[in-house]
Amino acid sequence: MNRRSILQTMLASTIVAAGFKVMPATSAAGDDYPRPPKPAKQYTIGVLLPQLSNPHFVGQAYGYIDEAEKLGVKVIMFDAGGYQYLDRQISQLEDLIASKVDAIIIVAVNGPGTADAVDRAVTAGIAVINCNVMTGSEKIVTRVRSDDEIIGQMQADFMGQALKGDGKVVMLRGAPGTSWAESRGNAFKKRLVEKFPKVSVVGEQYSQSTPADGLKLMEDFLQTFPQIDGAYNGADTTAIGAAQAVLAAGRAGKVTITATDFQVDTEKFIRDGVMSATVAQQTVIIGRWGVRAATNYLEKRDVPKALWTPLLLVNAANIANLDISTLRAPAGWKPPIG
Amino acid sequence: MSDAPLRDSAVQPSPTAPRVQSIDVVLRRLPWGRIGMPAVLVAMAVFFGTINPNFWSVTNLTNVSRQMSILALISIGQTFAILSAGIDLSVGSLLALVSVACAQGMLAFGLAGGIAIGVLAGCLAGLVNGVLIAKARIPAFIATLGMLVAARGLALTLSGGLPIAGLPHEFLFIGAGYLGPFPLPSVIAAVAFVIAYLLLSRTRFGRYVYAMGSNEEAAVLSGVNVVKYKILVYVVSGMFAGIAGVVLTSRVISGQPTLGEVQELYSIAAVVIGGGKITGGVGGIGRTLMGVLVLGMLSNGLNLIQVSSYVQNIVVGAIIIIAVYIDLARERRR
Repeated sequence: MNRRSILQTMLASTIVAAGFKVMPATSAAGDDYPRPPKPAKQYTIGVLLPQLSNPHFVGQAYGYIDEAEKLGVKVIMFDAGGYQYLDRQISQLEDLIASKVDAIIIVAVNGPGTADAVDRAVTAGIAVINCNVMTGSEKIVTRVRSDDEIIGQMQADFMGQALKGDGKVVMLRGAPGTSWAESRGNAFKKRLVEKFPKVSVVGEQYSQSTPADGLKLMEDFLQTFPQIDGAYNGADTTAIGAAQAVLAAGRAGKVTITATDFQVDTEKFIRDGVMSATVAQQTVIIGRWGVRAATNYLEKRDVPKALWTPLLLVNAANIANLDISTLRAPAGWKPPIG
Repeated sequence: MSDAPLRDSAVQPSPTAPRVQSIDVVLRRLPWGRIGMPAVLVAMAVFFGTINPNFWSVTNLTNVSRQMSILALISIGQTFAILSAGIDLSVGSLLALVSVACAQGMLAFGLAGGIAIGVLAGCLAGLVNGVLIAKARIPAFIATLGMLVAARGLALTLSGGLPIAGLPHEFLFIGAGYLGPFPLPSVIAAVAFVIAYLLLSRTRFGRYVYAMGSNEEAAVLSGVNVVKYKILVYVVSGMFAGIAGVVLTSRVISGQPTLGEVQELYSIAAVVIGGGKITGGVGGIGRTLMGVLVLGMLSNGLNLIQVSSYVQNIVVGAIIIIAVYIDLARERRR
């Protein structure tokens, strides 16, 4: 383990140890990569998102747009429409190159698949910032993300404790070929083996990251395995479907469902006790930091090679008094998709 | 075929006609059947270029032509299928199957081996389509629908659902390389257009494709080996999907089992926007090229003038319907 992981693990366990205390009330919750001064020139930044039908990316879109407004930056935003549309994201990236934007922020639909197109953008003289979901390209300015391994570990810790160290778990891993599905799932399994050897993973599947896919997958898991004590979810999109499947099977509360992120339905299911916990990424902060990093780079300031955004474990204990301004876009806000 | 040229020769100005014809008369007498599509293309290009001058930049023109090459290749195959009064719904999924086969083949047998296996996988799937349609007499829509689902499943099974990385870097040349100033994928697509044009217009196979599409019974009665040539149609379509899959795999420099979703529908759209008749017998490779150009230029141009990707779908949908409506209207007037 390298230094940042230890540091983040410590940070994460502090949050866990503190009984999931609310983070400081100002929206600055862990927002420790400061906003640079407004540049004299108006830059244009292209933003490529994988799946705007997922509220996680709406929160992030808000971060990009709001931060850009504050820095006088113009944003051109594209949505690939799902992790399966690699060819579309590449076309969008090429169209941004042709539009001669100053910088591109990419949330990659696929690691290896986007590598060459990103390399070409860099060759064309465009700075590329990689946020949230990783591209295979090494030529990017920086990577802005929460630590996916910690997300997996936090879910494993919660699951292990909730099951009192013994039980059978299924995994809804998320979209195949994405860095998050890989790292979170692998870290979850590894942590279980290390800390809770009697908790076993009986089934695991990749699927597209939508509630419909999660519902179908969980229904099938429930048919396949007579005993399921826990369900891990790489993203809360599938967890929402899984929660519905568990509800319909009359097993609500008997299956510990853990997830990542904090969209409105996830909040509702945790409040109702159908879902047990979720590791919330500060999506708005990811967006803000992406634009800040791009601006700093364009203004010839140093940008660290990696920027780790903070995480927050949400469960029944702390859900009542939570500051959601860094987790979600304001209610009713719609991304100006272009 | 259009009757416009005939009418043209009939409009010699008579001595009594006014010397200056009003503009709408001139417009009405233009041979729209032949220049309609190119005129639309020029209008679109001028429109996009006016709003965003970058549209006309060399970077962007290379860009569009590269982006269009995949759709172009599968639309060529689709043209054969539709001309013969069939359809090939499997081409989108075949991109994924070919991509996985090509990547795995490449890791096992090297660069050339992988490319060959990719193209072969496309041909093989096409052969299965063809046999099901021509020999087992399953309607093309159903047979290729089955292949659409099964090929995607096979691609996911072979790859375990995950992308296959670690392909040799030289492979990038196919998707990202240049021949002179031209991107290689565009050159491949252009060559494919020429070959397909010659196949359709200069060979017995081509004539039979039209014959089967216009009236299959008549073709059978005049001694055409319909079974053989039908199978060949789908092998050709599968082969072009195979070539497209290899190019796309190179562009993403990895084997991807999720590639090509809904691409089969865009290939059908390209054929009918160009003026190909969905029931077969009418159309051609030149018309399909027009359809591909319209779709490719639209998606690039609308991105460049920053029209929302959601609105883009509405525009494309409308254009498919309008293009076919205009064709039908012209046909009725004849």
